[in-house]
Amino acid sequence: MNVWLDAILILVIILGLFIVASTRLGTTIQIFAAQSLILGTVPFFMYAHELEFFIVFVSIAAIVLRGFLMPKYLFWAIRHVSVRNEVSPYIGIGATLLLSAASIVGSFLLASKLTFPIKICSDMVIPSSFSLIIMGFILIVGRTKAISQVIGYLVLENGIFLFAILLLKKMPLLVEMGILLDLFIATVVMGIVVNNITDDFNITDTNELTTLKD
Amino acid sequence: MIFLLISLFILAMASVLILLFSRSRKTSSFLFLWSLIAASLLGLCCALSILCQKTATLPVFEQYLRLPGHFPLGEFYISIDALSAFFLLLLFILSLAAGIYGIGYLRDYEGKRNVGVHLALFHWLTIVMVLVLVAKNAVLFLAAWELMTIISYFLVTFYNDNEGVRKAGFIYLVAAHAGFFCLAIMFMVMGAHASSMNFDQMSFVQFSPGLAALLFILAFLGFGVKAGFIPFHIWLPRAHPAAPSYISAILSGVLIKVGIYGLMRVITIIKDFPLWCGIMLLMMAVLSGVGGVLYALSQHEIKKLLAYSTIDNVGIITLGLGTGMIGHAYHQDTVAFIGYAAALLHTFNHAIFKGLLFLSAGSLIHSTHTGEMERMGGLFKLLPWTGHLFLIGSLSICGLPLFNGFISEWLVFRALLEGVFHLDLFGIIFSSLGIVALGLIGGLAAFCFAKAFGIIFLGKYRSGEEHHFVEANLFMRVPMAMLAAICIFGGIFPIYTVLYAFRGAQVITGMQLPEGISSAILIPLLMITKVLMIGVIIFAFLAILRKFLTSHFKGHSRESGSSCRTLAGARDPIQTETWICAYQHVTSRMQYSASSFSKPVLKIFRSILFFKVDTTIPKGYFPGKTKLNSSVKDVSQDLFFRPLFYAIKKLSRILKWIQSGHTQVYVLYILFLLVILLIWKLH
Amino acid sequence: MNTFLHLIILVVFPPLLLGIIGKTKAFFAGKIGPPLLQTYYDLFKLMQKASVYSLTSNWIFKAAPMVCLSAIFAAGILMPIASFKAPVQFAGDLVFFVYLFALARFVTILAALDTGSSFEGMGASREATFGCLSEIAMFLDLTILALLAQKLSLSGIFLGGLASSWFLVGPVLILVVVSLFLLLLVENSRIPIDDPDTHLELTMIHEVMVLDHSGVDLAYIVYGKALKLFILGTLLISVIFTFRFHDHLMDTGFFIIEIMGLAVLIGIIESTMARLRMNKVPYLLLSAFIFSIIGFIVILLRGHS
Repeated sequence: MNVWLDAILILVIILGLFIVASTRLGTTIQIFAAQSLILGTVPFFMYAHELEFFIVFVSIAAIVLRGFLMPKYLFWAIRHVSVRNEVSPYIGIGATLLLSAASIVGSFLLASKLTFPIKICSDMVIPSSFSLIIMGFILIVGRTKAISQVIGYLVLENGIFLFAILLLKKMPLLVEMGILLDLFIATVVMGIVVNNITDDFNITDTNELTTLKD
Repeated sequence: MIFLLISLFILAMASVLILLFSRSRKTSSFLFLWSLIAASLLGLCCALSILCQKTATLPVFEQYLRLPGHFPLGEFYISIDALSAFFLLLLFILSLAAGIYGIGYLRDYEGKRNVGVHLALFHWLTIVMVLVLVAKNAVLFLAAWELMTIISYFLVTFYNDNEGVRKAGFIYLVAAHAGFFCLAIMFMVMGAHASSMNFDQMSFVQFSPGLAALLFILAFLGFGVKAGFIPFHIWLPRAHPAAPSYISAILSGVLIKVGIYGLMRVITIIKDFPLWCGIMLLMMAVLSGVGGVLYALSQHEIKKLLAYSTIDNVGIITLGLGTGMIGHAYHQDTVAFIGYAAALLHTFNHAIFKGLLFLSAGSLIHSTHTGEMERMGGLFKLLPWTGHLFLIGSLSICGLPLFNGFISEWLVFRALLEGVFHLDLFGIIFSSLGIVALGLIGGLAAFCFAKAFGIIFLGKYRSGEEHHFVEANLFMRVPMAMLAAICIFGGIFPIYTVLYAFRGAQVITGMQLPEGISSAILIPLLMITKVLMIGVIIFAFLAILRKFLTSHFKGHSRESGSSCRTLAGARDPIQTETWICAYQHVTSRMQYSASSFSKPVLKIFRSILFFKVDTTIPKGYFPGKTKLNSSVKDVSQDLFFRPLFYAIKKLSRILKWIQSGHTQVYVLYILFLLVILLIWKLH
Repeated sequence: MNTFLHLIILVVFPPLLLGIIGKTKAFFAGKIGPPLLQTYYDLFKLMQKASVYSLTSNWIFKAAPMVCLSAIFAAGILMPIASFKAPVQFAGDLVFFVYLFALARFVTILAALDTGSSFEGMGASREATFGCLSEIAMFLDLTILALLAQKLSLSGIFLGGLASSWFLVGPVLILVVVSLFLLLLVENSRIPIDDPDTHLELTMIHEVMVLDHSGVDLAYIVYGKALKLFILGTLLISVIFTFRFHDHLMDTGFFIIEIMGLAVLIGIIESTMARLRMNKVPYLLLSAFIFSIIGFIVILLRGHS
């Protein structure tokens, strides 16, 4: 099972790199859907020998919510707002790729120095979650369009989910409720805000949002 | 040793005679030529005799000379060990080549400038550089170093009626003295700890890690300015285009290497450095290498391109040095040995092929009176000697197999790969960084010289009608051919130069040849020669096949029945204009230019280089004239040194009021100082 | 005897690969396509044709295809095929291998600039750029393989050095394989980097550099292209399939099947993907480099902990 887990985590990191490197919003959402689907199967592989009901529930909930519903919702949002491309990000694609690579390498090096009280089945879980978190941050900080920032936030949540799977045995309900609810509310709020702004000013560039300060 | 002293004596005497006879060009040239040949041959004999020693005991056999009597603080103590002998070898080869070339080059300047003084100073530069390389006393070293700077300043500003040349010389002088300052402090600290200014006394002292680190930083700054590390390199791209080409060859080939020699000598004396010194050297080497070649790519003037390319190759040399230091810090002897040997070998090879490139660039400028690449093209047929020799130089500097550049780059890779195998995690990461950086440097250098050679010599002439260009004269051709022959020989039979580099590395590491070195390095070198020979045989086979095919199928055209073949006649190769996809009026200006060739790479690295293209887009149906200008900012010069010097200037302007000009004020200052001293003493 | 068989495979087999790729693309397009041995017929035909030379060019243009082919062939001598050891092997021949390809590329670029046409200049400039960027990924990949096999020669790495690597480090080696595959596509100018079939200046990198060659020279260049694809393909499949039977017949049989499979895969990619925009190719190369960096770090950490 270890081998499959490694392969899945590598695939997750590679998909994260693809999300960071692409400028077309439709492609980004599709890759995010694929990543969430694959991430949803991780609890199965991690707890293959000791499957319980709520682990299966968490997996299926993650797959359905993040893999199907969220992308559908986001596609609806971008069609409504009619923004298709991230044309001028703050950080160029080459620099974003290099930063993401540096963050992945850094998380692997960092994770090798940390010591954990519990035994983890694969040594790639912690670094993958760290790298997804940092890649989410890079997306949020480096992009101008609001939808890209939402996707960055969702990638960040993916990373936290991956980390929280480790704690699934000890704190089951808290973890799943916290993450899934948090996620849901955040996206709903963002969706409303985006919609409202679109209706009022017809823009989704966050540059313009700074004029709302006073 | 005797040979060396005789050769120095010949040079000194000859320079005096040249000064006496400087009116008559023929006599001074004659004296210069024969004294140079005699002195260089003697010096080469001396260096080779030390390097070919078969002794396996250590220390490697030294000869020394100690003169009685002291001059202030120091004594005249010189000795030649294998490290000095290696550098002496390249000094004499290059002086010989540049000197003979200079006579041919200066033929145009008789009567216009003071050629005699110039030639005499050339001899003195050689003498002083020999002294730097063999000095074993710190004060002698520093004195010779200072003289080297001053004499080379006079040689560089040969065209001193040009404002740019004067400015370049001034910047060179300032930079060299800034380095000298650091060196003086360093040698004073070392001498204080060893209570003697002699190098062999200093090498017995155990320096504490903190002190060793401080000395390393001072050595890095002092020798690094001379060697041209980024970010202290700003004098290099100005001094090289300003000087006459053979002086640039000496500057790039020998003077820079003397800086490297100084760093190696300090490493030999202070044997143990903390690990971070080696890592810092490696990082600076990567920075120098990649930055140098990127700036070289963006230049369109041939000598500035070659100057930046020197910075890049110094980066490669330092990469080997850094690997050696890291290996030494980890007590991995093989890594350290191969690293130092690789640095030494690349020093030698670079001196040879950079000398060749500068001399052929000089012959190019001599014939066409300009160094701008964008104006040239198609010169391969008009200037065959220059073209072929520049081609050999370009192939060597790109590190392509069959020429000597490949052997030294291969050896640096070998050192880094040994590092990857034998060091711990931290060392492996830095060694791999070095491997990747060296791969990038090699690729970009190939790009740079494909551009340089292709734009200048291939295609069609870009500035209108082709003029009748005069090829270089015999004095200029012979030294270039000599250097090219060394390049090719060093590439196919590298065993001699590699063994000499090993002797030098033995001195630096202070130990025997490590075991396994012959299977690790020497046998692979033989295999490389074998593969190259097989490649040459395959080439010969393909050429014969081609000849056979083109001549065998001649005359079958009548029976074949294809109309266009019979129209063309027999199957001889047909010569026609280049196919241009049916454009009607193609001029030579429509070829790819140097800026367009380098644009893709510069665009990729545009954030580091501040690459900008200024242009106005042509508008309308019959657009008029427009222009395009692409530029790159030298980061170290424009973002660091220039603001620093402006700040210093502004600060000095504030303090200008102290120097009022009235004598009474100065007397008042003296009075104040006396009063203050009195009060302080009474306290 | 082994050397002889190795050289026979090296000389005879490569043009068949181009034929297989052509047949695969025809299959996807619903055509019958050219016969499998088409490249051999092409080479034979080209060798009988006369050459046309431009007035601007000189001996560099005439000699470049021969130097290029000799360099690629010399690289092939260093590469082990199936279970045959390479005829020449020594520690550090990885570096020599990459530099021979760099030599081939350099002389082709010079020949392109020699014609004085802006088409060739453009192709030369692009080829040189992508060559630089692919060399860094190539060096890092070879370093990773050398580190895994603890050997420094290609024969040492591929003939048994990597035998247990897939078990030791597991799926992380997939990253190295993906990186090597992208490098294979770039070095041989395949889709998605370049279109080897068209001759429009918008799409060409390698094709436009050799636009002016004809006759025997063109035969040498086409053969050199096939040989380069074969050698780099051998490198790739030696990393994927590291198991050796130590029986020459079985190993050679498996090798031929594997490399034909690779050719089919390249054909599938060419039929299903479109060419990338030219300014996205550096990002593709950067991704190949990043994959190998990530693989390198994970392998290092796994090996040392």
